[in-house]
Amino acid sequence: MNTFDLLMLGFSEAMTPANLGFCLIGALLGTLIGVLPGIGPTATIAVLLPITFFLPPLAGIIMLAGIYYGAQYGGSTTAILVNLPGEASAVVTALDGYQMAQQGRAGSALAVAALGSFFAGTVATFGIAIAGPMLSSFALNFGPAEYVALMVFGLLAATILASGPVLKAIGMILIGLLLGMVGTDQATGAERLTFGSLDLFDGIEFTVIAIGLFGFSEIIANLERSGSEGVKLAPMSRMWPTREDFRRSWPAVLRGTGIGTFLGILPGGGATLASFSAYSLEKKVSKHPKKFGTGVVEGVAAPESANNAAAQSSFIPLLTLGIPSNNMMAMMLSAFMIHGITPGPSVLTNQPEIFWGLVASMWIGNALLVFINMPLIGLWVKLLTVPYRLLYPAILLFCCVGVYSMNNRIFDVLLAAGFGLLGYAFRKAKCEPGPLLLGFVLGPLLEANLRRTLLITQGDPSIFVERPISLTMLAATVILLALMILPSFRKKREEAFQEEEA
Amino acid sequence: MNAARGDGPDLLTAGLFAGFGALGLWLARDLDQGTMAQMGAGYLPRAVCAGLILLGGVIGAMALRRDAAPIEGMRLRPLLVIVGSIAGFAFLAEHGGFVAASLWLIIAGSLADPGGRWRTVLMLAGGLTAFGALVFVYGLGVQMELWPI
Repeated sequence: MNTFDLLMLGFSEAMTPANLGFCLIGALLGTLIGVLPGIGPTATIAVLLPITFFLPPLAGIIMLAGIYYGAQYGGSTTAILVNLPGEASAVVTALDGYQMAQQGRAGSALAVAALGSFFAGTVATFGIAIAGPMLSSFALNFGPAEYVALMVFGLLAATILASGPVLKAIGMILIGLLLGMVGTDQATGAERLTFGSLDLFDGIEFTVIAIGLFGFSEIIANLERSGSEGVKLAPMSRMWPTREDFRRSWPAVLRGTGIGTFLGILPGGGATLASFSAYSLEKKVSKHPKKFGTGVVEGVAAPESANNAAAQSSFIPLLTLGIPSNNMMAMMLSAFMIHGITPGPSVLTNQPEIFWGLVASMWIGNALLVFINMPLIGLWVKLLTVPYRLLYPAILLFCCVGVYSMNNRIFDVLLAAGFGLLGYAFRKAKCEPGPLLLGFVLGPLLEANLRRTLLITQGDPSIFVERPISLTMLAATVILLALMILPSFRKKREEAFQEEEA
Repeated sequence: MNAARGDGPDLLTAGLFAGFGALGLWLARDLDQGTMAQMGAGYLPRAVCAGLILLGGVIGAMALRRDAAPIEGMRLRPLLVIVGSIAGFAFLAEHGGFVAASLWLIIAGSLADPGGRWRTVLMLAGGLTAFGALVFVYGLGVQMELWPI
């Protein structure tokens, strides 16, 4: 079958009423949590993971994916209208978007954001459709040594590209690896790190850690700095952008889409990094960089296209190599695992309907989002007036029931509460919990492949530098690490992230 | 500021990392080390723990040389109330059924925010419990008794 046939197969899968419904639910939920500050997509997906267990595999994955890219749309709505970015990836959108709203051009900004996102989503979807089969046929040649090198590269690159101190991120990965080792050792059958507790013999459930670290500790942290009551809205205006807006935004949309698609593929990349980079690129190529921050339409178009493109293209490494590039993709990986599907090159050949169904549903979801967003913006914005104290008890209940329902074990609920405490401590220590999740999901894979490699070579680690693919990836890792140690690069990186926070 | 040294959050990080490393080493004390070619169950856990302790040491040493920076203030109320209400939910779900557990979770959990009014909290608790019972227990078939057995 050629790509066209496969895409048709995907559309026929994605267009079934049930899958279309779940796509819509995901997009709606994503928009909802994107609009509401204080609830991020990571926490939402953590809460919903157990529920997808009750759905067919494709439906569950379609819904979760919808939440992820839906949140990118929703986050920009509040960024523009009330200067309150619902998601981290919409922070830069607020700079120019809110200024546009203040000048009475809110409708125009929202429309540019929605249409730019849709265009970017379409391009990135085709990117997946083209790059997916290519990369996965390449990955079929991978042996265990290549996988070890790829995972080491992925984990370390993720820490370097993500914000925050690198040493802390590496430490969080190590803690994740350690948590992944709890339970029965796959190779020897020995009980490891279980405190002798029977409840831990099967290891720790991914949802327990995710809900503890993201769900519970986010609630506690939000309540600590309370005062998130209702907000005042900028007046709404004409919806359609002017011809001038169109003329100025389309090159920005193109650049944003390109940079977003590329950055989404890189380990540690993703929506947030993409939108920041697109904004600074736009500022660099613009003829009037000083005007940025005063309501320039390019300043909305570029980051919005970039974050949506990146949200989609970050699926590429997961679907083709089985390596999640950020914590959202770690969630998606475990969503696949719940259904007994191991993402990777073999999915494309053995279960093409899953891969192509997801690709097709992403495009449909993006089209749905334009319709959800443009006419319904008023409704979404009203939701902002719901105070957090009415929301968090509901989130608390969903978290508790969700954790319990995975294995019908009370112990998991208590363990998740423990991880909530740990997550709180990490917040106080200014450690990002994201890398921990990556380490946790990749840990067992890394260990199995490392053991296999060294068993084949009888303990000779030189295989890692003798195989060309593995050598390339390890060399790239070393270069990245060396760059981090070089003071000049480190300063640049810090500056880049300072700019983002400003 | 006086000449105090030590970056609070980083020192806490160092403690957490080293603590995890030490705990892991202690738990892995009886595990088989194996060789590089035939790794035992303890080989990688020990390697990871050693890495954590080393990293904790480096981060701690660097933090001590920086100017003092305090850890963000802690407010015990949300922390204790949320953790306590989850623990209560876990206990009640086993012995009292979903309805009691859910009511407890929402009413007790609402105490974390001092601004709540009793009427809204009770209505919220009733509504969410009914919703949860319908959607989770009946709809999705989560295996939990509704009422005390």
